[in-house]
Amino acid sequence: MRTRITGGRVFDPANKIIDQVRDILLEDGRVIADAPPVNGEQVVDASGTIVLAGGIDLHSHIAGGKVNLGRLLMNEDRALFPEPFGDFCGCGGGRAAPTTHATGCRYSQMGYTAVFEPAVVGANARHAHLEMADIPNIDTGGFLVLGNDDFLLRLIAQGEGQQAINDYVAWMLKATQCCAIKIVNPGGINAFKFNGRALDLDETGPFYGLTPRRVLNTLQRAVSELGVPHPIHLHGCNLGVPGNVKTTLATIGATEGFPLHLTHIQFHSYGTEGDRHFSSGSAEIAEAVNANPHISVDVGQIMFGQTVTASADLMSQYRNHNIADPKKWIGMDIEMDAACGVVPFNYRDTSFVNALQWAIGLELFLLIEDPWRVYLTTDHPNGGPFTSYPHLIRLLMDKPFRDDHLSRIHKAARAHTRLAEISREYTLEEIAVVTRAAPARTLGLKDRGHLGPGARADVVLYEEQADREAMFAAPRLVMKDGEVVVVNGEVVALTQGRTYAVHPPSDPLMDKRLERWFDEAVGLKASHYKIADGEIRDGQGPEIVELTP
Amino acid sequence: MTSGESITGGAPRTVRDIVCGFCGLGCDDLEVTVAGRAITPRTACPEAARLLARNDAPPPSPRINGAPSSFEEAAAAAAGHLKAARSAAFSGLGADLEGLRRLYDLAMASGASLDHAASGGLFANLERLARKGWIAATLAEVRNRCDVMVVFGDDPASAFSRFFSRAVPVRGEGADGDAAPLFVTAPGRRQIAVVGGPLSEASRRVLAAHQVTEVPVSEQDVATAASVLTALVAGRGVDGLTGLSDETVAALAALAEQIKAARYAVFTWNAASLPAEDAPVVAGAASEAVDVLSVTTRAAVFPLGGRDNVTGAHQLALWRFGYPLRTAVGAGTSRHVPELYSTAAALYDADLLLHTSAFRPDAPPDFDRGPVIAIAHPDTVFAREPEVFIPVGTPGVDYGGHVFRMDSVVCLPLQALRPAELPSVAEVAAAILVSFGRGA
Repeated sequence: MRTRITGGRVFDPANKIIDQVRDILLEDGRVIADAPPVNGEQVVDASGTIVLAGGIDLHSHIAGGKVNLGRLLMNEDRALFPEPFGDFCGCGGGRAAPTTHATGCRYSQMGYTAVFEPAVVGANARHAHLEMADIPNIDTGGFLVLGNDDFLLRLIAQGEGQQAINDYVAWMLKATQCCAIKIVNPGGINAFKFNGRALDLDETGPFYGLTPRRVLNTLQRAVSELGVPHPIHLHGCNLGVPGNVKTTLATIGATEGFPLHLTHIQFHSYGTEGDRHFSSGSAEIAEAVNANPHISVDVGQIMFGQTVTASADLMSQYRNHNIADPKKWIGMDIEMDAACGVVPFNYRDTSFVNALQWAIGLELFLLIEDPWRVYLTTDHPNGGPFTSYPHLIRLLMDKPFRDDHLSRIHKAARAHTRLAEISREYTLEEIAVVTRAAPARTLGLKDRGHLGPGARADVVLYEEQADREAMFAAPRLVMKDGEVVVVNGEVVALTQGRTYAVHPPSDPLMDKRLERWFDEAVGLKASHYKIADGEIRDGQGPEIVELTP
Repeated sequence: MTSGESITGGAPRTVRDIVCGFCGLGCDDLEVTVAGRAITPRTACPEAARLLARNDAPPPSPRINGAPSSFEEAAAAAAGHLKAARSAAFSGLGADLEGLRRLYDLAMASGASLDHAASGGLFANLERLARKGWIAATLAEVRNRCDVMVVFGDDPASAFSRFFSRAVPVRGEGADGDAAPLFVTAPGRRQIAVVGGPLSEASRRVLAAHQVTEVPVSEQDVATAASVLTALVAGRGVDGLTGLSDETVAALAALAEQIKAARYAVFTWNAASLPAEDAPVVAGAASEAVDVLSVTTRAAVFPLGGRDNVTGAHQLALWRFGYPLRTAVGAGTSRHVPELYSTAAALYDADLLLHTSAFRPDAPPDFDRGPVIAIAHPDTVFAREPEVFIPVGTPGVDYGGHVFRMDSVVCLPLQALRPAELPSVAEVAAAILVSFGRGA
């Protein structure tokens, strides 16, 4: 059946359509080229609305072992935020670490139709996929965490050629059915297993004698040569450490010409100035990002309130566990692959550090000029729950609103930020870029993030309102693959999404090497580590993202 | 589900690298011979061998009030009982994740409390994990890093036969470069201390290459000994923690020094085999020792457990409902009250029991307050004939599926070994759900 969405103001920056009243035609789950009306087509009156493609969150911890540990620690939060009653209630809830059903429904209610879990640990990948299959209404994909795995570090340390590295990375991507490579604290998580407590970019790690720079560059080359569309998704060294702005700037300078995505860069933009030895490094970071077109970032904005932080970076989480609120935390060394640390946090606007973190995130959003290289995230749930996105959008779009909030934060923090001097307000076009077009482009999803012919029929109609928070919290209509799933901010239907993966080829000799590795070192058969296509979404199989060698 | 070789009949064939879902250790190198529907284990621990062995006998049919019925009739009868019930308890939950997903769907539709037959140890550990947390390690980390292992309680091999050979293998002379342990110096030699015990002769043989210390402690003193050891590691006095012989305290003091000198000490215990009131104490003492050690070195806990996919049932409850097991779901809500919804407590108030045990022929708990629906292993012997009995195949024998390993990180694919003649738990729960929905 054909559906015509008519009369809305279309913002489709990928196709250079900015604020044009035009029809969007949908058929069989896709956008089709505009054509004259035909009998029997369904007409959706979009007048008074802004028409956007479905939202894409490229960094949100929604599934897998560390999220489940977060749920275990956040039972109070779960009890405070039950899913609303009704036909689409899944007996779940929670805001900081919501249940799978609640995750899908809440994202869908904001107009998001695809969300990417950015830290899948190989050994836990099957679990992450089982959870993703239980999330309704959104498409998903996972980024595989590499860069602390003993097999890789040994390959590099032994001086094996890049081809062996590439074969291994390709094997792991396919085995875990992931769609990109994430590095978390390169070499640092591994170093912590040997009792290393910090590892800077050019510091030599224990046992393997490798620097994070070397690990980073090796994997950058691998994904580039394999043609994985998304560049290395890097959670850099020294997360949260005052003064880490130097490390981040050095990392931007260390990319050897390869593209690089720096994730939750807010947590990596801290200076040591001032009497509290904690200051904003956002101006320097923004300047470096502006000057380096091969760098993209997502912000990891913090939002005030209770949340839980869940990260593979046990080195950093151990450093932070003493400020857990409530006072409990879980750490885990994981299977020669990585680790995890889960620490509840309560970000307070009355705290100097938290307030300044909040300001630093906003400064980064506003000082980085090219919206195509900055993606809207709170690093859910680490900076704050994803349900705070409409509020964040208003902070970006509404200077008086932002100033009002700024006036309420810790006084000394206010003195340490130049946020008040920044007059920029995001436009609707820019919001469409940072929440749709740009993440689709960097992930290599050609049929997403836009409304041109061939695009997935994921379309969102937001009622034009001056209050951008209200506007983006409850769209008038959300269509997923052409089916209406949300009306006036309420879920009206549940649908199954898909899971994105990349399957680069690898030399069969790598199978043999890994069979031996898994038998001897890991104590698990490689054949059982590998996730078959049929295991994805009850036999549906993965949606393969095209490689771009 | 991985489908391995063809599972149709014919000449006897050997199936290798079978994943085992029974005890929770997740061994995946088992071997059996399959002839028709008969399965003869070739390489398996005694428990797995007992649970994998099958003859060619035809499976029983479902029964309603003891009389044979069709599958559809039995599913409809089960749905009818569920509709009439006001307070259902789902017990057992011995199933693969696919079966559990459908059982939870059914519980959400009918309203029911959920608990697993092997959740006792899990909840003892949650006293510590959910309230304060801990630092844990997975099996491969233990294999490769653990230089000092402390076992609290009885010999882990009594419930997890191959624990020592899997967790602390020996790196022999001329071993492959990949052979575990990769990071334990003094060629694969580790210190293994058992506070409790005794170790079986078989375990002593497996551990022969290591430096083994046994600190004999009676079952009821294990918690005290664990607390004393942690106090010694922390450098606290142990005067108030009496009841142990001087000899035992001296042995624990020596052990504390070894632990403090370790690069990666691992503490392990099977909460299910400890006295119920002591298990949380042991979990707490082990976790606290790790906290103390972590200030200057590395250490981790490795809790034992996970029988019949209790870990999977727990994980699924968390991601579905946001709470662990012992939660009542239905009418759009969940209530997690462990004191009310453990199977034993829930049965005081329940008017229906739905018991699932697909891995082994474990009978439902005693219950006489209402109908019993048993989704159970075909060999189950019932003290009281259930109102509805639907025999099911075994995950990893009759059909594929997924189970979690005890470390709660690794989820493993089970595969079918022979043609299934019985439905899976998922199929049964789905059929009951369809029947339930139709008449609702």
